[in-house]
Amino acid sequence: MNNDIPVQALGGQGEVMAHAVDACVHCGFCLPACPTYALLGDEMDSPRGRIVLMKEVLEGGLPLADAAPHLDRCLGCQACVTACPSGVPYGELITAFRGWSEPQRQRSAFARSKRWAILKALPAPKLFSVAARVGQFAKPLAPVLPAALRGPLDLLPESVPAMQPSAKVTPARGVQRGRVAFLVGCAQQALAPNFNAATLRVLARNGIEVVIPDGQGCCGAAALHTGARDEALKLVRANLDAFNPDDFDAILSNAAGCGAGLKEYPMVLHGEPDETRAKAFAAKVMDISEYLNTLLQNGELEPPVPASRPLTVAYHDACHLAHAQGVRAAPRALLRAIPGVSVLEVPEGDLCCGSAGTYNLEQPELAGQLGARKAKNILSTTADLIASGNIGCHTQIQSHVRRQGSPTPVLHTIEILDRAYRGEL
Amino acid sequence: MSTEKLALTTNSSARKPASAGGASNALAADLTRALGPRKVLSNLSERLNYRYDAIQFGATPLAVVLPESTEDVVAAVRASRAAGVPIVGRGAASGLSGGAAPLEPGLVISFTRMTRLTIHPERREATAQAGVVTLAVTEAAKPHGLIYPPDPASFRTSTIGGNLAENAGGPMCFKYGVSGDYVRALEFVDADGEVHRLTRDVFDLAGLLIGSEGTLGLITEATLRLIPPPKFTRTLMAHFPEVGACAEAVSRAIAAGAVPSKLEFMDRACTNAVEDYLHLGLPRDAEAVLLVDTDGEDLDTVQDELRLVEDACVASGGTVRRAATDDEGAQLWRARRSVSPALGRIRPQRMNEDIVVPRSALPDVVREIRALGDASPFRLVQFGHIGDGNLHPNILFDPRTEDAHAVHDLAHRIALVAIRHGGVLSGEHGIGSMKRDFMTDAVDPATMQALRGVKRALDPSGALNPGKILPAEEVMVDG
Ligand SMILES: Cc1cc2nc3c(=O)[nH]c(=O)nc-3n(C[C@H](O)[C@H](O)[C@H](O)COP(=O)(O)OP(=O)(O)OC[C@H]3O[C@@H](n4cnc5c(N)ncnc54)[C@H](O)[C@@H]3O)c2cc1C
Ligand code: SF4
Ligand code: SF4
Repeated sequence: MNNDIPVQALGGQGEVMAHAVDACVHCGFCLPACPTYALLGDEMDSPRGRIVLMKEVLEGGLPLADAAPHLDRCLGCQACVTACPSGVPYGELITAFRGWSEPQRQRSAFARSKRWAILKALPAPKLFSVAARVGQFAKPLAPVLPAALRGPLDLLPESVPAMQPSAKVTPARGVQRGRVAFLVGCAQQALAPNFNAATLRVLARNGIEVVIPDGQGCCGAAALHTGARDEALKLVRANLDAFNPDDFDAILSNAAGCGAGLKEYPMVLHGEPDETRAKAFAAKVMDISEYLNTLLQNGELEPPVPASRPLTVAYHDACHLAHAQGVRAAPRALLRAIPGVSVLEVPEGDLCCGSAGTYNLEQPELAGQLGARKAKNILSTTADLIASGNIGCHTQIQSHVRRQGSPTPVLHTIEILDRAYRGEL
Repeated sequence: MSTEKLALTTNSSARKPASAGGASNALAADLTRALGPRKVLSNLSERLNYRYDAIQFGATPLAVVLPESTEDVVAAVRASRAAGVPIVGRGAASGLSGGAAPLEPGLVISFTRMTRLTIHPERREATAQAGVVTLAVTEAAKPHGLIYPPDPASFRTSTIGGNLAENAGGPMCFKYGVSGDYVRALEFVDADGEVHRLTRDVFDLAGLLIGSEGTLGLITEATLRLIPPPKFTRTLMAHFPEVGACAEAVSRAIAAGAVPSKLEFMDRACTNAVEDYLHLGLPRDAEAVLLVDTDGEDLDTVQDELRLVEDACVASGGTVRRAATDDEGAQLWRARRSVSPALGRIRPQRMNEDIVVPRSALPDVVREIRALGDASPFRLVQFGHIGDGNLHPNILFDPRTEDAHAVHDLAHRIALVAIRHGGVLSGEHGIGSMKRDFMTDAVDPATMQALRGVKRALDPSGALNPGKILPAEEVMVDG
């Protein structure tokens, strides 16, 4: 799309944004992929519309405040990126734009403190755990609370388990085949500690030594995608310091959102001195399912114990795995590698579940509609188990599936594999 | 072409309104009163988004209405009449001729929320509101063992209203016909806000609305014919060392008696653009790739037909690959559907032609256009529904560094090649504003008068999508 974005004045991130706008031919192929367009049916809440809005704001033809409501409704799910034949890097555009525009935003005191709380709590597992417990007590009150407060409660699982710190080094079992670094994640440690425990067990069982480097922290994705760029940069640099890519075969994440965040580091640091370091780092980042799938493809994956009865698993594609990282086949292949397990596809599978980072907090109504739609679609498969590879989707889907009265277990892909190895499936 | 129009085709920031935000005009206020705030967009941030289609940016509308029923459309038309402003209908804005881009500020009626769809399996019909996405019709019909054949490459996005307004075609149209062939009845709102329900008898008024690009009335609902899908489909891809040879193969196959269900061609630049996007292993070195489906009730016949095509391709110097599985066939078709947008990877802007020529003239036309492109400074690519002689030569350019006048000139020369060989200006994308100026080359003055007469009869004040299809007339002030 032709534009007059003042790239010079905007620096490295300006280049990122102008390139994305340039690439869009306004063909509209992305419209059917977009969850907010599906719900609202108007152009401003579509990818193509948002690109135009960002262009207009960057060119100075439209006040930021006018465009903001529509940009805020974007889930950042990147379904539009998968759908776009012209290769428009929409994800980079919206991330860079949010970083650029946030300092100019005028927000109410309430909104500011809510954002502050989220940004502080998410990267601090202990704090998050405490907050989650407090929230737990408030949950029964949800129906009488205002929507703005109900959203955060929806995010919480039925029970908040105790934190389980992971060992710094988990040795490989049997012959050592590899050595990886692992990003433990933040909210996830508090909400679903078993994801990490299962990950360590499965990797060890496959002869992989797992190191959890000191000094690592939050991937920075939440801060970055809500526009808190300075905050994000601190986190990004801390991780670049903590992980030396040369020491490991891979840097693994088991949360789709975090993995996507780590892979974005070169874009975040585009045009800055750390860009080279970020590239070396990102080149080693893999989702846990990608890594295990390479073992599977090489015939090196320890064979899982067959399930005790034929099981169907509805696999939910997390946006940050499927769209942002392009990882679709690997988790399915891993699940299918368990004898007795078959994988079912979810209708409207590409439509976001509405969790998307802090979306439940910022846009509770749309998030709720999407969550309900996703749960309905998943339940229509009548699968025995529901699998996903992302903590956000996990809590969102669990909460909506329960609300629709179903007891179907919701598990991380790696938990299912772990159960199979333990003969518990 | 007027300089003003050039500005619109090449400069996205043309004609920005001075005022920002708020229901600042009387029209928006009237509409909001009549329809409620949910269905009316009046903020600048909202309106800005309704000034483009897939090819062109136009003027920012004064207001946008998102109707949910025919009554809403009526109310919107009445309000804009009262305000004396023009009306542009809009579906998914995937149009490639500037049709849905307003040329002057007015009202845009966007049909994307009119999505009611009912399937009547016993009558093999679907009733679809204008905003129903094309693909949704087939998806809904499938459980009943039926399909809706018209399949423009944009079928995941485009709407039935837009399809009928453009009389859209697709790969299937060689054997199964275009959108208009599937319309049994039509409901439309005229320029006065009157509702009409038409069938295809007496004067075929429905036929007149089909392909009229929103210049004669606003389509609100259509009754569409559905058919049972063919039992068997087989797919073949052939590639050729020269574009003309590909066209020859097509003529040869059809002369031999084959009636493929789809016959599509793309040249080397297209193949490579798609390959960059999808990585399917398409032959990057071939000058032309031909994609063919044969289908039918009887597998032997389907195979025989595919063999006829295969022989024709080989005889014209092509190399043939048959799709081994349905999946492989589906991948190949995905490649073809992605051509047009994938071209955006090469240059940010393009001028999209949509000519149709007699099949016998295809080899010459394809070669002549290739030669025109080679002699020009621009990247010129070709693809299209070659079975119908419908070609899409596209001139790719960068408006910041390349001369838009020269692009337009080349497009004009391509159009003249088509006309010289007995062809027409538009197969399916419409005339819109992009090819309006070429109409005088294609249509004789008496016919032009007849067209103007029709326009005057249905839209006396020229309120509906002004500036589209019919070239400006000296004597007439307003369309
Ligand atoms: C990548 C790509 C591939 C394409 N491939 C094909 C193809 O294979 N075949 C093909 O034929 N076209 C193709 N097109 C062009 C376009 O998709 C079609 O013309 C389509 O029918 C337009 O539908 P739409 O809903 O997007 O309409 P719009 O673009 O919104 O509108 C098109 C025209 O119809 C008018 N209109 C829209 N709705 C109504 C209504 N309800 N009542 C009256 N007038 C209305 C508008 O004013 C405008 O003049 C392609 C486009 C793209 C971007
Ligand atoms: S599909 Fe890509 S090129 Fe087309 S409108 Fe969407 S972002 Fe732009
Ligand atoms: S990221 Fe998701 S929500 Fe945002 S525009 Fe793209 S498809 Fe829509």
